[in-house]
Amino acid sequence: MSALLEIDGVSRSFGGLRALNDVSFSVGEGEIVCVIGPNGAGKTTLFNVISGVFPPSAGDVRFNGKSIVGMPTHRIAHAGIGRTYQIVRPFVRLTVLENVTVGALVHESSYSAARRKAAEVLDLVRLSHLADTQASSLTLTQRKRLEVARALAMRPKLLLLDEVMAGLNPTEVDAMCAFILDLRKIGISAVGGIEHLMRFVMNISDRIVVLDFGRKIAEGTPKEIATHPEVIAAYFGTPIET
Amino acid sequence: MTLRNLGFAALAVLFLATALVPLSGNGYILSLFYISLLFTGLAYGWNIISGYAGYLSFGQITFFGIGAYFVAIGTTQFHAQWWLCALAGGVFCALLAVPMGYLMLRLQGAFFALGMLGLGQSLRIATDVIPYTGGAEGIYLPPGANAVVVYYWTFAILVLAILLTAWIDRSAFGLRLRALREDERAAGTLGVDTTSTKVRAFILSAIVPALLGGGYAWYLTYVEPSSIYSTEIELQTVAMAILGGMGTLWGPLVGGILMSQISEALSTKFPQTHLMIFGALIVVLLIALPRGIVPAVNDWLARRKSSAKARPQEAVT
Repeated sequence: MSALLEIDGVSRSFGGLRALNDVSFSVGEGEIVCVIGPNGAGKTTLFNVISGVFPPSAGDVRFNGKSIVGMPTHRIAHAGIGRTYQIVRPFVRLTVLENVTVGALVHESSYSAARRKAAEVLDLVRLSHLADTQASSLTLTQRKRLEVARALAMRPKLLLLDEVMAGLNPTEVDAMCAFILDLRKIGISAVGGIEHLMRFVMNISDRIVVLDFGRKIAEGTPKEIATHPEVIAAYFGTPIET
Repeated sequence: MTLRNLGFAALAVLFLATALVPLSGNGYILSLFYISLLFTGLAYGWNIISGYAGYLSFGQITFFGIGAYFVAIGTTQFHAQWWLCALAGGVFCALLAVPMGYLMLRLQGAFFALGMLGLGQSLRIATDVIPYTGGAEGIYLPPGANAVVVYYWTFAILVLAILLTAWIDRSAFGLRLRALREDERAAGTLGVDTTSTKVRAFILSAIVPALLGGGYAWYLTYVEPSSIYSTEIELQTVAMAILGGMGTLWGPLVGGILMSQISEALSTKFPQTHLMIFGALIVVLLIALPRGIVPAVNDWLARRKSSAKARPQEAVT
């Protein structure tokens, strides 16, 4: 099998709560997969398991055919998985350039080369003019872009984007869409976790995985998902709350 | 920039003056400068783990004490050269810092600070029963004219500690330290091996006080648990680094010079009440400049610079 990422029967419990229940799917090279589901469906837990923040209670996660369960986060990062956090976590007392340089150091052994690489990535996400600003003074939108830039600077093979659209206005959402579609051109796969914004999900996804209460209830192309009865019942059917 | 040159000139004058102090032959001045050098050096050592890595430690005095006892025991029991003993103490503390770091750096925030404090204090108490330490009575070292040689030893270590900090300040290692200080989990997912980075910082933060403690024993020619594993020395070191600016290159120097000089001036002017005045002064300074002097000055310079040149065009969206 040529899948880049394989999620194989992954469960994760917190006390009595089963945040993930026997979830399986895979992501191929250059593929963009969106994991959707209402608030609390288990998307962030899934990203935390993949990036090694905590291990699954059961099941296996394989990257390039090798199990990454139990590996420390930095080794998973070096293996080629980058991630962004739903609640952005910039290094606030570092400059924007320094923030991105941390990620660039994954591949660059020299500090100055990493800084140059980081500057290029800042160009890509249009934050160059803020390179020397402290991250603490960025707006939310800029912080989101910084979050993506940092992960991108690691030159990951797979990028996990947790709620990367949350808090963005429609223009910014369009810009982010274009940006994610560009990832494919440079050979990066992406898994996006998205609560709503169906228009966006339908446009960019190769495949969609639907989670509900920690279980995978459907998987397929955007067309298949849009007409899937269980999805309509469990997800589109219920009013969206905040 | 002229301000920068001014800074370098001041630094050069300070360096020369400090280097020439022993030639004055004035014992009082020498001891005054020695204490300044010692505390500033300790503040630099502390600044690596606590300022750059963000792990507030109240136990670096442990390594200071071990260094002092290495010299005390080595010179009296084994009749070795004191500086060889001090170097051995440095090596020992570096090795000790590895398991200690792996163990203690799992603790976060106040737990790490208290854990380190506890460790230092338990070693102070344990000294009473460890053989060759002389217990609570302490050890008398061979007396002699040690002050000048220890002065230069301490000066050299301080200069090395500043150079080390300057390197950390502009290296990938330093960036990783500051990143994990801000957010350890985010640093991990960005590929920073947080555990080994922290432990390396901890090792550097152990070597500096160990070497300084070795010199201190030779200077005092008497070691005894409560004056060596002294919380007062520890707290003053911490206060200096915080006042000057944690995690900055010049913070410990500014804080160290300022505090040791003010404290000395106050104690001669107000022999009865100087500690009270000194404490109040620290409180006032920290309320006015919560992040310390150096960051406040940097901010002020940056604001002056940005108001001098035209505001850069803010990009759209």
